[in-house]
Amino acid sequence: MLLCGLLLVGCRKDPALPVAEFDAPFPLQLPPGAPMPEFPEDNPLTIASVELGKALFFDPRLSRNGTVSCRSCHHPDRAFSDTVALSVGIDQQLGQRNSPSLANLAYHPSFFRDGGVSTLERQVIAPVQDPLEMDHSIQRAAAAVSGDMHYERLSQLAYGMPMDAYVITRAIASYERTLISGWSRFDRYFYQADAAAMTESEVRGWELFTSSELNCTACHTGFDLSDHSFQNIGQYLEYADTGRERITQGPADIGKFKVPTLRNIALTAPYMHDGAITTLDGVIDHFAGGGLPHPNRSPLMTNFALSVDQKAELIAFLNALTDERSIDQVP
Amino acid sequence: MRIPCRTLLALLLPLAFLGCRNDDDVVEPTPTTPASTGTLRIVVVPKWEGGPFAMNTVYTNVSDYRVKVEAIKFYLGNVRLLTGTTSSDVKDVDYFDLHNGAVSKDWTAEPGTWTGLHIGFGVPQALNDADPIVYPPGHPLDLANATYWGWAQAYRFFQFDGRYDMDAGGTAAPALPFSMHTGLNACYTEFDLDLGTGVTITAGNTTTLTIDLAVDRFFYTAADTLDLATENQTHGTNLPLALELTNNAIHSFSVE
Repeated sequence: MLLCGLLLVGCRKDPALPVAEFDAPFPLQLPPGAPMPEFPEDNPLTIASVELGKALFFDPRLSRNGTVSCRSCHHPDRAFSDTVALSVGIDQQLGQRNSPSLANLAYHPSFFRDGGVSTLERQVIAPVQDPLEMDHSIQRAAAAVSGDMHYERLSQLAYGMPMDAYVITRAIASYERTLISGWSRFDRYFYQADAAAMTESEVRGWELFTSSELNCTACHTGFDLSDHSFQNIGQYLEYADTGRERITQGPADIGKFKVPTLRNIALTAPYMHDGAITTLDGVIDHFAGGGLPHPNRSPLMTNFALSVDQKAELIAFLNALTDERSIDQVP
Repeated sequence: MRIPCRTLLALLLPLAFLGCRNDDDVVEPTPTTPASTGTLRIVVVPKWEGGPFAMNTVYTNVSDYRVKVEAIKFYLGNVRLLTGTTSSDVKDVDYFDLHNGAVSKDWTAEPGTWTGLHIGFGVPQALNDADPIVYPPGHPLDLANATYWGWAQAYRFFQFDGRYDMDAGGTAAPALPFSMHTGLNACYTEFDLDLGTGVTITAGNTTTLTIDLAVDRFFYTAADTLDLATENQTHGTNLPLALELTNNAIHSFSVE
């Protein structure tokens, strides 16, 4: 018996760890109306992978000098967006685009405002290696956190391997997939038929939003209130940042950027790919004016007129898209 | 009979380790067989107008601009040896950083006499599109080489950086930067080098092939001149310049 006991102890990963609990699938809480996201075969959503991803998301050791984490530009209390037009990266350098909300990334078919990256796992590499953001190699970032016993245990449980760059990409992607937004008063009104969830003013704003005259739902549709297409909204006549064209090299894509979700829009100012518009009032003015006549401007950009009251109602509706609970599901 | 505690531990501990031993750890002797392949040693030597070239040295280019090159890095992919209608795969991809001058690479090659070398300038699309996290340390596509554009999920095929000025008689170091990085699948270009009467690879032996890289020709071809005054930056943007530089570069390779 003594011999058997020693043999078992010698093989056990960590006698203190409840293996079954960490290996379990992550209990993703989907709001009513939310479709089930797809998960890649090589990165199942488990308690261990999500917990590790969250820890890494907030860990500044991923940056070259240990000062910048994902959270530095994606604040949880701002639906994981930033409060400034251009985020401040390593050595106080300014980024090139406004940091978008990370809500509902699980539903996105491509990532970044130009859609240049096809998976969340590969997306993780870019900010870590961007000289303006974390300015690290992802291998050195992995080396910086390897040996952390908590991470190592979670890595073994989630992926059966020590902490490395592969694990970092998978774990952070897992955590980001859990950031599901769909707990707003609008959701209660629309998906749960709770007529009292929105005020009369907000309901009138919703009716304006879906009206054929404003036609917002031509792009801001579906559960994420975005079809994730790429559109030129006539923000400029000449774009310093050419957007989607940088990926496709096609002139017809100059000035096109991914349609953002409108969820938590009241929390994610400033707006547009460069954070150039600071208020929802200004955003509505831009769309009401139809945008500037750039050759690639979407034909969906047409003028419309709103009274002062209607504008207030539209803004009231947009405010009703704010989640009433944290979209971070990890305690 | 009482067994002392230390003796018992000494007996049991090895058993505990044995219990954890992975079958993969057992090393079976590998039978030695005669080599069926040879080695093709490629030596890429940077040159300037046929003479020696060194980084951070000021040269005068085709436009009479003073040029100081600070970095030349590139990928070669889908390398094949050719003879007649036959070809033999040599290397899927390799990385060259000429920071310290000439670079040599040893590639496994099929024995024979070969009259051509087929080269892709850049990273072949299948490799370029793969998840880069899978490449192990030391692999040409290892992210540690800092050649990957995370925003475009693609490799930089060719990095050409330095300083220039248009003061032909100047003595101070040129100060204006140029930085031209090509990439994205559109820039991947394949070409052939003529090996003349042929290069012979024999089993178990190394054959050296020296390839000159005419850095001065990065700025021109017979049909075109790259004017640094107006064409000096490309980083995934400015595809026409990236393609122009790519075309110039592939015409810079020649077999010594």
